[in-house]
Amino acid sequence: MKDINIATNQADILEKLNADQENLETILRKACKKIAPVWPLENFVAVNPFLGFTDKKFDSVAQELAAAGGIQMTLPTSFYLQKIKEGRIQTDDLATALKKRRIYTDAQEFIKGLENNPNNEEETTTFATVADIATQVTNKDWNRFIIGRISTWAASYFDNGQAIWSAADQKSGLFEAWKEEATVDRTPELSGLKGFRKLINALPDHPIEATQLALKKLGISEDEISLYLHRVLLRMGGWSAYAARLDWDSELYGGKDGKLIEFLAVLVCWEACLLESLNTPELSAKWKSARSMLTHVNVEKDLNQKLVNKLILQEAFDAAAQRDLVSKFQGEKKSAEKETEQAKAQAIFCIDVRSEVYRRNLELADSQIETLGFAGFFAFPIEYVPVGHDHGEAQCPVLLTTGPKIMEQLPDQDQNNAALNDRILNRHVHQVWKSFKSGAVTCFSFVSPMGLSYLPKLFTDAFGWTRPVPNPNTVGTKGEFSEKKGVSLATNKNDPALGISLDKQIEMAKNALKAMSLDSDFGKFVMIVGHGSTMVNNPHATGYDCGACGGHTGEANARVAAAVLNNPKVREALLEAKISIPSTTVFLACLHDTTTDEVSILNAADVPEDKTEELLDLKKSLAMAGKATRTERSLRLTSGNVPQSDKAMMARSKDWAQLRPEWGLAGCSAFVVAPRGRTKGIDLEGKSFLHSYEWRKDTEFSVLELIMTAPMVVTSWINLQYYGSTVDNKNFGSGNKTLHNVTAGVGVLEGYSGDLRVGLPLQSIHDGEKFQHDPLRLNVIIEAPIEAMNNILKKHKGVKDLCDNGWIYLMAMDNEGKVSHRYNGNLTWEEVHKNAA
Amino acid sequence: MNQYFLSLLTIASPLFFAVTALTSWFEQGLRPTLVKKMAVASTWISILVAAMSGFFVFEYGVLETPLIGIEGLGLSLRLDSVSILMFSMIALIGFIVVRFSLNYLDGDDRQGAFIGRLAATMASVQLLVLSGNLGILFLSWVLTSMSLHRLLIFYKERPGAIISARKKFILARLGDACLLAAAVLLYTQYETGNLEVIFNSLQAAISTGQTPAGIETIAGLLAGAALLKSAQFPTHGWLIEVMETPTPVSALLHAGLLNAGPFLIIRMAYVMDASTYASMVLIGIGGFTALFASVVFLTQTSVKTALAYSSIAHMGFSLMTCGLGAYAAAMLHLVAHSFYKAHSFLSSGSVIDLIRSAKVKSAKRIGSPIRIGLGILMGLGVYTGFAILWGVDPVKERSLLVIGAIIALGLSRLFTSALDSNGNVKLILRASLLSLLVTTAFFTLESGMHHLLSGELPALAIPRTMETILIGGILLIFGATVFIQIIAPVISATPFTRAWAIHLRNGLYVNTVFDRTVRSLYAHGTEPKPQVVESLEQISHQPTAEIKQPQVETV
Repeated sequence: MKDINIATNQADILEKLNADQENLETILRKACKKIAPVWPLENFVAVNPFLGFTDKKFDSVAQELAAAGGIQMTLPTSFYLQKIKEGRIQTDDLATALKKRRIYTDAQEFIKGLENNPNNEEETTTFATVADIATQVTNKDWNRFIIGRISTWAASYFDNGQAIWSAADQKSGLFEAWKEEATVDRTPELSGLKGFRKLINALPDHPIEATQLALKKLGISEDEISLYLHRVLLRMGGWSAYAARLDWDSELYGGKDGKLIEFLAVLVCWEACLLESLNTPELSAKWKSARSMLTHVNVEKDLNQKLVNKLILQEAFDAAAQRDLVSKFQGEKKSAEKETEQAKAQAIFCIDVRSEVYRRNLELADSQIETLGFAGFFAFPIEYVPVGHDHGEAQCPVLLTTGPKIMEQLPDQDQNNAALNDRILNRHVHQVWKSFKSGAVTCFSFVSPMGLSYLPKLFTDAFGWTRPVPNPNTVGTKGEFSEKKGVSLATNKNDPALGISLDKQIEMAKNALKAMSLDSDFGKFVMIVGHGSTMVNNPHATGYDCGACGGHTGEANARVAAAVLNNPKVREALLEAKISIPSTTVFLACLHDTTTDEVSILNAADVPEDKTEELLDLKKSLAMAGKATRTERSLRLTSGNVPQSDKAMMARSKDWAQLRPEWGLAGCSAFVVAPRGRTKGIDLEGKSFLHSYEWRKDTEFSVLELIMTAPMVVTSWINLQYYGSTVDNKNFGSGNKTLHNVTAGVGVLEGYSGDLRVGLPLQSIHDGEKFQHDPLRLNVIIEAPIEAMNNILKKHKGVKDLCDNGWIYLMAMDNEGKVSHRYNGNLTWEEVHKNAA
Repeated sequence: MNQYFLSLLTIASPLFFAVTALTSWFEQGLRPTLVKKMAVASTWISILVAAMSGFFVFEYGVLETPLIGIEGLGLSLRLDSVSILMFSMIALIGFIVVRFSLNYLDGDDRQGAFIGRLAATMASVQLLVLSGNLGILFLSWVLTSMSLHRLLIFYKERPGAIISARKKFILARLGDACLLAAAVLLYTQYETGNLEVIFNSLQAAISTGQTPAGIETIAGLLAGAALLKSAQFPTHGWLIEVMETPTPVSALLHAGLLNAGPFLIIRMAYVMDASTYASMVLIGIGGFTALFASVVFLTQTSVKTALAYSSIAHMGFSLMTCGLGAYAAAMLHLVAHSFYKAHSFLSSGSVIDLIRSAKVKSAKRIGSPIRIGLGILMGLGVYTGFAILWGVDPVKERSLLVIGAIIALGLSRLFTSALDSNGNVKLILRASLLSLLVTTAFFTLESGMHHLLSGELPALAIPRTMETILIGGILLIFGATVFIQIIAPVISATPFTRAWAIHLRNGLYVNTVFDRTVRSLYAHGTEPKPQVVESLEQISHQPTAEIKQPQVETV
């Protein structure tokens, strides 16, 4: 919340402008909306990198981004040609893609044409900035230089606690702080930019006024400005995205934007000062002609032919994957009906693709266990405050604001106080120790006597017996803490946000069960299975926990949900809503460890003694399912074609040198919204999100509306993040993990310098031989009446844009469980051939 | 003679690494099964050899293998407590680094080459520390830097990697020249390359009160080589940029190779001890670098860059300690730093975990002058108590006292952080326990190391007046630095302090100037130039449009 207040204060700076400046501010804001936010690594969020573009067609965005930032939106032609050779893409797929564009070339000829043309891969060509032109003229790499300078400053300004002595005034405005640094830093002048500090000093203090002046110096006219601004933003895409994230949070909680606008001011001022400082006639002349290119072109009108070819190939690749997926459903009729006997357990998993594998194996382990899929915060959007923390963290998708504040605690008050004191004391000792260990000069008095203690630690860490640093979830607590800890729902008069009142509990319980389509036929146990991951020494670890829920595990949400649903008073009240939960049914809060595929039961103490046997039986099935899931996953986690042993699979979670502890959501390419009966027994290869939904129970289609506006959007964010990181890892991915250098406590640099990196590392999508994530756009299959879906699309333009503009493929499932229709844009649907396979 | 034969077995360790490196020529690529196995085997052999030769040295004292060479110059190994200590340390770190690289670089399409280069570097460092003759000493000195260079440019498409490696290359050749000149002078003086003979002649000369001819020049050259090898101010720029190569290289470099500077000085302790001015240079430059880099460390926002500054500081401290003649203390610092820094680099991916852990309620400073004063007094008190208990002689062991003074500064920091905070009594208690632990460990290890190495090193000399004045000045500045840090959290930042933070974060621009001299901004090798739109056809549908490439000359 601290950030937000600062952001709000800063936004005030942008007021009190004259009409011209207000106009400019609008233009700047529009440019800034093209940058998708990036979250800090401590709470990784999977973001659609094309967030600001979904109102445009996929193809024209590909053209625009290529021109503005040299960004690729498909893989190189050779990748697709290889897939054609392998038979993965068939001629029919290509023919479909060609026909869609009204190109009447024969598919075979099209392939031949590509194979015979060695010149398929073009260099990316972008609109010029002053830095580009200066690089050509002076033969010095000013782009790299400017990125380095701004990145160094930004790391100080946005630092989240890595530097002990901060070189920036984080409380002052972004532009003001930059100006302060730029008038002190001697680097540009020592590198050959004469009088640079003087030029900076002469700039107005107000970011908009400074931008106005800088644009004037650059000679950018109104026609050229939008493309130009986009271009300079993309050059510093990483830190721009970080500023965009601060704006996002601020706006989500009702504040104003402004950080990115100020950052853009920095970028533009750098350009202007570079031009002035170098000040050669050749540069000015070349810049003038380069600038004119910005005016004359409407990037959306004509597509570059090479790009069109690649887009056709990508579309054919998508069509091929879709054909495979659809064919899986076209087999014999699946029953959507449930068994009549009471299930031993119903397990509600997150829609996450990793759950699909486990669910399949759990159902195989015991056919009397049913599984369901639902967004992994289980409709309990809480703010969770771990023991000893000052502030809570949002445990829900970043699209939502948080609801009640929940405290982590031990059930016994004395134990709780002891744990609290312990944790705080340990934190204080750590602080004191760090001041000694890392201080200037005192670090010498640390190393001589204490350095040798790292010898045994090197070995125990290397063998996975210890963790390089304590686990942040349990740091400063004793072993029994994590076993005993729970949550408190208790309310407090002094803090209205704290806890959940009974009325609220009833309301939340009702909404959750309705949304899960689970309002009758409760099993003996109902497991609410959140998920998290276990790994060490991985800066991107929270992304594996959950890239949808802000890098948090679902543990707290599962605990809260189970506590609410086990509350007899809640159950009593639910009867009024015609939801009858048998008194013998116990809700279990569980955690699925996606790295080791172990499912642990967190509130086993709540199970009455007479059910101990049944619980044991359940645990056995969970263990069996875990083993089977690991075996299945080991086929993908090979090293040199040898599947990993069970032991090796488990060891990955403790290996400090392991860059691929698991595949995360790599491969995600489908989202099925239907009762589990429709997908049961189908091997979706851990590549499909699964959401349980029965439209017949959804009288107003309000649940459907929720699914299409929330989980469907979130899954497309995840899918497109993987897509972007795969097709252009340089711009939308974070590069080689072996070079990662954690910076400012928020992200990574690749190597010594450069821009903040966003998205996923190469190692998360590629195994060294092939991509583990194929770039495919999400196929969404929903079992619901087409009419109902159309109504929702009509109501929500953002969702309709996603489907209309080729960011996701939407399909409908019929009453037989077969995929019957494909959305064709503009609320029209076409029939899918039943014998498509 | 038996033990001579056995001591020859030590060559097995660098030999196996060298064979691994050669094998990697035939298995350069993805998932190199054989190379991986051989590298792991080499690390085991290395540890075995270290244990075995440690036993020999314990049993028989200094051992030397027969010379392979001519005119007293060539290849011979020297096993003594100094070389075995270094060798064991490198064997252990090599084991960890190789093991780390197996999974860390899995899937890299040149993992074979990587492990091969790692093995080559290990082989040359091991030869260096085992050197018993000037010939092999110089040869392996050059080899370490050459093999390291190949690791630094492992991703040779990265301009940052090329530039930093180029800077390193220039400095390393200067260092080589210094060492070569020193070796030639020593050889002409004593007509042998055998270190034992040289050391004995030196000792004999000194005991008769002579100053060996040319010793100042030789020691000066050795100091120069060491300062250049260990990235001392103002030649440190390359080290802070070499994280353009995978993490295990950084770990090996900072824990195993950077040490070569102080190691050379310790190895040549008898030469250094005979000189007056070389020690002053080491104290001056080492002391300044230690201060400079450990302060710059505070301002760094990226983990690996910060760690690099920390290494520079620790090397400076080690060299300063050498300059004081406290070689055993320098050795302790060197070895301790190696393990500490190897761990820091390999665990540098855990920073985000630490950031998340820091969300627990923090202690706030109070800013009470009485508490701060008390904290400083407690630090000094604990230290003085121990020094008296241990019976440190303040006249004869003045150098030890100086290093001890730095420990006392550390203790003061520990106590003030605990006392002057809103934490409770338990915090002060825990801090006191920690300070006792630190002091006990320091005195125990210090005397242990002294005992271990006493046979190989000149006795602790009483510093000369000039040295005492110099070190007094340095201590004063060190003390002031610690004091400023103690009071820093309670005084607020001003534009003036921020300006200094900016200058320091940029390393006082030394590296910027160096960058300009090596023309680092200019185009490098395979680096693509910006392709910008120069005609409208380039972005609309004109598939055959030629893209005009600007003519670029590479430097």
